[in-house]
Amino acid sequence: MNKRLLGVIDATTYHEDLSDLTSHRSVAAIPFGGRYRLIDFVLSNMVNSGIQSVAIFPKYQYRSLMDHLGSGRNWDLNRKRDGLFFFPSPSLDKPVTGIGSLDHFAANIDFFNRSTQEYALITNAYTVFNMDFNPLLEWHVHTGCDITEVRKNGATLGIYLVKTSLLMELIETRKETGYLSMRDVVTDINSPYKLCYYNYEGYATMIDTVETYYAESMNLLKPEIWEQLFLKERPILTKVKDEPPTRYSKSASVQNSMIANGADIEGTVENSIIARGVKIAKGAVVKNSIIMQKSRIGEDCILDHAILDKDVRIEAGAIITGTKNSPNILRKGSVQGEWLNS
Amino acid sequence: MNSLTKNLAKPAVPFGGKYRIIDFPLSNCTNSGIYTVGVLTQYQPLILNSYIGIGSAWDLDRKDDGVTVLPPYTASKEVKWYTGTASAIFQNLNYLHQYNPDYVLILSGDHIYKMNYELMLDYHIEKEADVTISVIKVPWDEANRFGILNTDEDLKVVEFDEKPKEPKSNLASMGIYIFNWKLLEEYLLLDDANDDSSHDFGKDILPLLLKDDKKLFAYPFRGYWKDVGTVQSLWEANMDLLDESSELNLFDQSWRIYSVNPNQPPQYICKDAKLTDSLVNEGCTIEGSVTRTVVFQGVTVKKDAVVNETVIMPDAVIGKGCIIEKAIVSPGIKVPDGSVIRPKDDGEILLVSEETLEEMVSN
Repeated sequence: MNKRLLGVIDATTYHEDLSDLTSHRSVAAIPFGGRYRLIDFVLSNMVNSGIQSVAIFPKYQYRSLMDHLGSGRNWDLNRKRDGLFFFPSPSLDKPVTGIGSLDHFAANIDFFNRSTQEYALITNAYTVFNMDFNPLLEWHVHTGCDITEVRKNGATLGIYLVKTSLLMELIETRKETGYLSMRDVVTDINSPYKLCYYNYEGYATMIDTVETYYAESMNLLKPEIWEQLFLKERPILTKVKDEPPTRYSKSASVQNSMIANGADIEGTVENSIIARGVKIAKGAVVKNSIIMQKSRIGEDCILDHAILDKDVRIEAGAIITGTKNSPNILRKGSVQGEWLNS
Repeated sequence: MNSLTKNLAKPAVPFGGKYRIIDFPLSNCTNSGIYTVGVLTQYQPLILNSYIGIGSAWDLDRKDDGVTVLPPYTASKEVKWYTGTASAIFQNLNYLHQYNPDYVLILSGDHIYKMNYELMLDYHIEKEADVTISVIKVPWDEANRFGILNTDEDLKVVEFDEKPKEPKSNLASMGIYIFNWKLLEEYLLLDDANDDSSHDFGKDILPLLLKDDKKLFAYPFRGYWKDVGTVQSLWEANMDLLDESSELNLFDQSWRIYSVNPNQPPQYICKDAKLTDSLVNEGCTIEGSVTRTVVFQGVTVKKDAVVNETVIMPDAVIGKGCIIEKAIVSPGIKVPDGSVIRPKDDGEILLVSEETLEEMVSN
């Protein structure tokens, strides 16, 4: 149990380059790895590190994020004391100013006033990693830093650790200092605070473009990567769905793929990520693709380098191809028939 | 079934790649709109109790009703173990009084089927029955293994035949009863006072009701139903799921079977894997060749292993180059590399457990 650390997740980020996947949802809620949403990684890391109180600050399109998180039960955060808190932004017109908007925090200052945790961990919601935050906290306390920024290979991971009292000071003095976000605080070379960098050695990647989304999804198929992400003792938790096990028919052929529950596979699948409840009919060939929840692929279709958002229907015989650098993205709920390609 | 149930109550035995047997009656209850459920437990209840918990997996965590686990308890002088199905309910009359229902549905925790109990209750009310017993038509040559109900044309029960040598009917009792509550209470009290009784519904209570001219009706059920009381039948029921025309459709969203979800990563199917005609749950890694097999969560099938017509229970590991056929591999078993496990006789199903593994592998 980590009663000293408060979790603060900034879920306001908007990436123009991911707009094909975010017309119905925020970046934090983008499906990843067959059954997860991007926010599951940081949220599970917090819970697995013993954090008992997590505040989520969303901004755009947060309906699907709220639906996903619910009461926090799947993360054991449905608590009487502490637990999961949700603070949508009161001002939609103000631009996003980097991870950890101090204005957004200021609008919910009561939450920080009421929290008893000595330290606050402020993170983004779109990093894929499996990190124990306890060594980070120990290191931060030991070195006596005011602010610790987590980095990987010299680049920021958009994760900051501060004393809660310092965070509140930063919120209260934001008008005088001109700092809009935690990012501003750590990038100011004249900052009066002692800033430290904590280098994270494990696998961590920030999903901010379609190219990284696709490449990192494909990376999941490498055992050396998924073994770092999916640890028995620190599981990545997500909303459970009561799907049955996946059914592979007599005609199925599946290789080098990650497949979630409730799928029904009759065709050929190679180098792909298949989400919950997907149906791939006989004779269909799916290669190098990401198929999200409940999409249906008709008989004899050919998919290569495609990303199918949720509930996409591909009618029999259709051919959909993209390239490694520019995968063909089909938006949520769309229907693709054979005639569109002929 | 012994090795599987040595430390595990039968209703907690894993089934169908992710479920435990009790998920079926509990999901049937919640899908039928029955939200007050008592679960009688006795043998090895630890896993079953913690599995049921407060019932949230089946939406049975409720303010006023919900699921209640009812273990035997100590009366003022002695621990009263449940000696039969009727005695188990008799000892929990307090639980029933607390709700004072109109009707009581009595179910068995070790059958696999999907059934809308609400329709059975409608039938019970329509027939103005005192007791309704759900029945299923079984093949005539198997009727001698079941409790058979002989009925008139209107399906009113006229006679019970427990495992008859020469069956007059092929309507087998499914061990599912609806009682009018007041009548149930009356007969449980009568039965308890009878020292010669074995306190069993099928053997004691129902024949007594029939003798007293009460209205007992058979309710014909159509669909998949299987008693999975043996290794053979448990294996068969798992294999039935692989049948594309199986009546037991786990993918039917209108009648979902709920379960405690393990929340593990998606299954990873490796480059050289061969996987057909199977059910595979989350958290598995498949490197070898798997056909006609039901694979539970967290299982690893290593390289060059060949698994056919088998049930692999949670967290088991099938070593490199193993050959396994027609078996049930118990939870958590690690089958050493290169093991060959297949039955010697036709029709035999092997149960691979801690106790049997060593012997099987050395042969």
